[in-house]
Amino acid sequence: MPKYMFVYRGCENCHEPEEMQKFMQLWMDWIQVGEEAGWLIDKGDGLEPDGAIVNPDLSITDGPFAESKELVGGYSMVEAANIAAAIELAKGSPIAVSGGTVEVRALANVEMANE
Amino acid sequence: MNQSTNQLVEHFFRHESAKLIAVLTRAFGLRRIDLIEDMVQVAMMEAMNSWKLNGIPPNPSAWIHLAAKNRILDSLRREKTFAKAMALSGQTLASQELVIDQWLEDEHIADSLLRMMFVCCHPLNDRQTQIALTLKTLCGFGLSEVARALLLPIETVKKRIQRAKKSLAGAKVSLELPDDEQLEQRLDVVHDVLYLMFNEGYSTSRGADPIRSDICEEAARLCHLLCQNPCSSPATKALLALMLFHASRFEARTDDLGSVILLEDQCRSDWDHQLIGSAQGWLAQSKCGQPTTYHLEATIAMLHCIAPCIKKTDWSGISALYGRLLELHNSPMYELNQAIAIGESGATHEALTRLMQLKDHPKLEGYFLLDCAIARIHLLEDDTMKAVDSYLMARSKTAAVHEHELIDKKIRKLTEITQDDRTQSH
Repeated sequence: MPKYMFVYRGCENCHEPEEMQKFMQLWMDWIQVGEEAGWLIDKGDGLEPDGAIVNPDLSITDGPFAESKELVGGYSMVEAANIAAAIELAKGSPIAVSGGTVEVRALANVEMANE
Repeated sequence: MNQSTNQLVEHFFRHESAKLIAVLTRAFGLRRIDLIEDMVQVAMMEAMNSWKLNGIPPNPSAWIHLAAKNRILDSLRREKTFAKAMALSGQTLASQELVIDQWLEDEHIADSLLRMMFVCCHPLNDRQTQIALTLKTLCGFGLSEVARALLLPIETVKKRIQRAKKSLAGAKVSLELPDDEQLEQRLDVVHDVLYLMFNEGYSTSRGADPIRSDICEEAARLCHLLCQNPCSSPATKALLALMLFHASRFEARTDDLGSVILLEDQCRSDWDHQLIGSAQGWLAQSKCGQPTTYHLEATIAMLHCIAPCIKKTDWSGISALYGRLLELHNSPMYELNQAIAIGESGATHEALTRLMQLKDHPKLEGYFLLDCAIARIHLLEDDTMKAVDSYLMARSKTAAVHEHELIDKKIRKLTEITQDDRTQSH
């Protein structure tokens, strides 16, 4: 079955304790459902907001690189029949509730194509 | 099993953030409260990001305490004045850390929260700022939640809280409990703030936002915390009893659509009888030689709560209690409620005279419940026409949609009855 990567961006609406708790609960429930159903093959991880960029001339730029809206905040891996099915799964993720987006990208599966 | 390990108790983040802010401010001073709040928020974020993937750790409080402590110590290490002050006082961060760990233990947390309560209710600030500060600092409400709770623009709340923190830090307000000399006076302010906070949440004219019940819950929680400390007084216990009596009727006061149900129409089996029992316990413990307004109001609330129906309520007892309240504090609201009690006990004529006089009171001008009360007395006299007139008058005095619904329902019921009467007589 094709694999898809969910790339999460932005998490604007969760700065208050109560919201954080609600939001965290939504994620845990979503992950649990995905793992039990089997389509969530890797729950992935969150990304720290700072880091570094290695430029073509090998110079280094420090983060943060983008507006918090565009900053990649985390990722997960799912399995779905096709992109439409993957999009349906993405719609269920709690990221929308927090004002963020999720990008759905199919893995190119380079190795398998070469076999 | 999985479900329970993945669930935190309700409001866990709110309460943990309040505890951490209280303890860390006690350790590092009010001057650093902004930094402390930021670091606590960062720790909460860390917890959220880690727990949502890995599940909640076996001891979530300890996890979050450690994260917040590390964050604040990290940023203090970078602060030069702090390093100097530590060197001069002969303390080290390590010794400071031990103190914090101790204060964060369950049996010591209440002490820090209590100190913070007296700071938030410091007479330096006005009442509404004290309430805002209490919600923010002691209840872990976010700025937008405080704004929603007090129906103020978020910018206004932000400015007020900032100004309040500045003046508290500027006046070098300490995080010690007030000394015996000041205690009574300072305790009065705390009581008043908690009482107003509770009312803020309880008032139905403010709509049916679920945050309203959170405010009531928080006011009662803080009052309960205060009751368990020796610095509290019998009035504290009476105040808690009052809150619990009112809270027992919280759900029964609105229907599924959020419109108000008045006492006379509430379904009494919907009242929370466990809360009523607990309130009676606190009221019994609050007995003292000099009953306060809280004692008297709680007793009135109790008489309502234990009455089997509106008719079998001890109205003459309630009227007498309002009389005693009026001796302590001359409030038109007490007069209004006393007049209602007099009417319900049968003396409708006297009740009407009193209510009509109250119409001229500047504080009750435009108060729709006064006209509702007049309508109620007319009904007791079986004068449906006048009752409808008074309800229409009440309707013209309020703009809140759910209050219109309440009055419309009343009028509809009355006009239906009269129409039924007519069809029957034909």
